[in-house]
Amino acid sequence: MSSGWGTPKGFAVTFRQIFRKPITQQYPEYKRPVYPRFRGRHRLQVHENGLEKCVGCSLCAAACPADCIRVVPAENTAENRVSAGERYARIYEINLSRCIFCGYCELACPFDAITLGNEYEISEYSRDDLIYTKDMLLAPPMKTVPVADRDLYDTPIPVYRSSS
Amino acid sequence: MSAPENVTLTIDGRVVEVPKGTGLVETAAVAGIEIPVFCYEPRLGPPVGACRMCLVEVEGIPKLQAGCTLTAQEGMVVGTGATSEKAAEGQNATLEFILVNHPLDCPVCDKGGECPLQDLTFRYGPGQTRMTFPKRTLDKPIPISPTIALDRERCILCYRCTRFSESVAEDGQLVARNRGSMSMIATFEDEPYRDLFSGNVIELCPVGALTSTQYRFEARPWEIQNVPTICGLCPVGCNISATTREGKVKRILSRNHPEVDQGWLCDKGRFAYPHLYAEDRIATPLERVRRRGFGEISWDDGLDRAEALLRGAGGRIVTALSGSETIEEAYALGRLLRVGLGAHSAVLPEATSSALDAFRAPLSSIGHAEVVVVIGEERVADRAPIVGLWIKQARRNGGDVVELAEPKLDAELEQRLRSSDRAVLIWSGRAGGGGARLAELAHSLGFDGKPGCSAFHLPATPNGRGVAEAWAAAADRDEANPEPIGLLIVSGDEAAADPAVRALAEKAEHVLAITMYHGLAVGWADLVLPATSYLERDGSFVNLEGRVQRLRRSVIPPVPDELGWISKLAARFGVEISPHASLVFAELAETVYGGEASFGDVGERAPLPARAAYEPPEPRPVAPIPPPAAAPAEHFLGTLRLLRYRPLFSGPTVERVPELRFQRPAAEVELAAADAERRQIRNGDSVTVRSESILTLRARIDRRLPPGVARIAEEHARDLGTTVEVSRSSNPFTSAGGERA
Ligand code: SF4
Ligand code: SF4
Ligand code: SF4
Ligand code: SF4
Ligand code: FES
Repeated sequence: MSSGWGTPKGFAVTFRQIFRKPITQQYPEYKRPVYPRFRGRHRLQVHENGLEKCVGCSLCAAACPADCIRVVPAENTAENRVSAGERYARIYEINLSRCIFCGYCELACPFDAITLGNEYEISEYSRDDLIYTKDMLLAPPMKTVPVADRDLYDTPIPVYRSSS
Repeated sequence: MSAPENVTLTIDGRVVEVPKGTGLVETAAVAGIEIPVFCYEPRLGPPVGACRMCLVEVEGIPKLQAGCTLTAQEGMVVGTGATSEKAAEGQNATLEFILVNHPLDCPVCDKGGECPLQDLTFRYGPGQTRMTFPKRTLDKPIPISPTIALDRERCILCYRCTRFSESVAEDGQLVARNRGSMSMIATFEDEPYRDLFSGNVIELCPVGALTSTQYRFEARPWEIQNVPTICGLCPVGCNISATTREGKVKRILSRNHPEVDQGWLCDKGRFAYPHLYAEDRIATPLERVRRRGFGEISWDDGLDRAEALLRGAGGRIVTALSGSETIEEAYALGRLLRVGLGAHSAVLPEATSSALDAFRAPLSSIGHAEVVVVIGEERVADRAPIVGLWIKQARRNGGDVVELAEPKLDAELEQRLRSSDRAVLIWSGRAGGGGARLAELAHSLGFDGKPGCSAFHLPATPNGRGVAEAWAAAADRDEANPEPIGLLIVSGDEAAADPAVRALAEKAEHVLAITMYHGLAVGWADLVLPATSYLERDGSFVNLEGRVQRLRRSVIPPVPDELGWISKLAARFGVEISPHASLVFAELAETVYGGEASFGDVGERAPLPARAAYEPPEPRPVAPIPPPAAAPAEHFLGTLRLLRYRPLFSGPTVERVPELRFQRPAAEVELAAADAERRQIRNGDSVTVRSESILTLRARIDRRLPPGVARIAEEHARDLGTTVEVSRSSNPFTSAGGERA
């Protein structure tokens, strides 16, 4: 039963904290660095020569457990060459309100075209604005997030069977 | 037939018993064992053993054998890759070899995700490549026709496509060129692959070497839904799957009904689906304003206007039906007009006599007939293309095919038909009372008692029989032709495009058209209600065998479907009819199909109803037979009888598909060799065709055409009379008239 010590014991914890340095961070003034392999908002990558890496194969859409990627491909022509292969993604959309940031799309992509970046500040006032179109995904993110020291935090790139 | 002899053999340690002569691939499947194949396809004739994917070890034979070329033998001991080291090694080597020059195209390849090569590479083969050299590259893609693209890098030389072309379609246009590593598939002389059945090679190709240009980069297998339905463009009613993505039809695939189509489709059925997205498709009801102009009105107003028109006509209504309505729709329309308004008069599509039910058999029975007699002047392929394939199969199987212009059999043929157990009569022409004459003929030949003997009438419309039966079932009153016609109802695009219906419209006070396209309705109808296509409806079609097959809605149409608004309209006239096809079918099935068929049963693979007893057809007014050919005078050029025909690639649907333009008939007149010779006309000459009007067309000599006739496609014959004079154009530089497709 109650021995009467409960209350002083509880307060002791409280008072001890008063003299400690607070760990609260002043977000958004201060942004804590994320791990380099943190999975945030996606980017669509382009080759150095400006062609898009994505060929519109929809493998990312197949891999996506949230079914939030929509790819509508079209054919490259001599006048309108968008990607290196025969086809390109005419429409590429990710519904970030449904995305669970699992990174499967990144794993599925045979061309490293879709990658998950470090950016996590993607809230909007309307769900519609969370549907990222191809232009948005190709453009560099508006807000960037500092990345913690790579050497310190990054895990080595896993070595798959390199021979196949 | 004697009972098939069974043999017992062992595959991978499992003992199986199968009838003698069964292929080893099928035998293994019976035992639950897979022998992987690429080139093996029994529908293409005997196996060729081209790809070697199916290697197996057979005890007692030192070398590995191609399993697809073997048949089950008594006491055989077979080891597949699963148990036999040697077979597995052979298979691995085969696959590695196939992949040596195969491009890494999967992400951009249309076959990706449904590719047998991908699948088998995943399950068999070494899993790694030793190929470090640059791969062979070739030009790609090569459009071998406006509908098919060829990628030679991906081809694994299984020869399925060339075998189809050579021994199923028998067009001989796809060939393998060169030898060894330079072998490649090509069309003969690099001409476009122009054949009625060319699209089937796309489905046959086990890799992405032959792909459809329409489906190119449209969808991936995991993004689509395949809706099982029926092709509604000809009376065969091939079983199809409509591939849809994001609410749009993207391609048509076959759904092999072995009794109807054997998994083949004609190019019209396969490639015509873009008609759904034609530019001039009507999306809202249209009402005539001023003389030729049209204004869009809402559906509510449209129905009000339709009600007013129906009431205003006071029962003096004639309905022109296309034969492409579902039976439910025709029944609903019949109930509304006949019960609600007492308007019994209709222009029905070409009838099919129910007397033919006594000689009913699946279409597949043509394939192994001993003798096939085709009667009539219309080419079978123009009316029912797949029947043409079955006839070719009969010929390959050693059957005789006799083509007659008139139903006059000589004594010898009659004797053969009488004595044969597997004889088939096919009527492919206009006259003949929808097969009534054919039924009489079949009866007189004693086909009643012989289940292997059958008779088929090839109607001109996809569901003419179903529509006529449903219309008849809606009420039991006789037709009375109203004079003058107060309101003409034109149901469907074929009716709207029919000159006879147009002529009727001239005499009618008002016209209500139900069509899909602007071009067909504007200018002559007072009210146009938008229609839907066979790919957008639920309902049933009756094919030429009398099989009730079910259409399923593959995509939501942009307009409400006919049954829905007909039921609403009917309610205003006190007629109760359900807007749901299944309920209407249930009502109809009781009266027409004897309560046997139910909407659910008429499912995936519709069964064929049993044969009926022969009842002599009621003598009905036989459609006037076209006047007989004026006997060509030997010394004088004389006139030829004009034979107008509706080619397979014609009609409002095909006209709206740009990819099929090259298949449309050229502006040609076909002549018999004798007629052409007499007129000194050679193939390809420009000739003048003269009757009331004059046309300049190119000549083509057709050896199968009887002398005395000139065949011209409906769309090129324009307003020529029934007899024409044909002569070489006086000016050899006059170019052939009409647009060249
Ligand atoms: S991160 Fe996962 S959920 Fe998000 S788009 Fe990629 S696959 Fe889909
Ligand atoms: S992002 Fe990659 S996986 Fe997705 S469609 Fe483009 S190429 Fe294919
Ligand atoms: S044919 Fe099959 S294996 Fe070859 S590239 Fe296409 S999808 Fe890949
Ligand atoms: S094109 Fe296709 S079907 Fe024809 S041989 Fe090549 S792989 Fe076989
Ligand atoms: S399947 Fe047997 S050799 Fe091709």
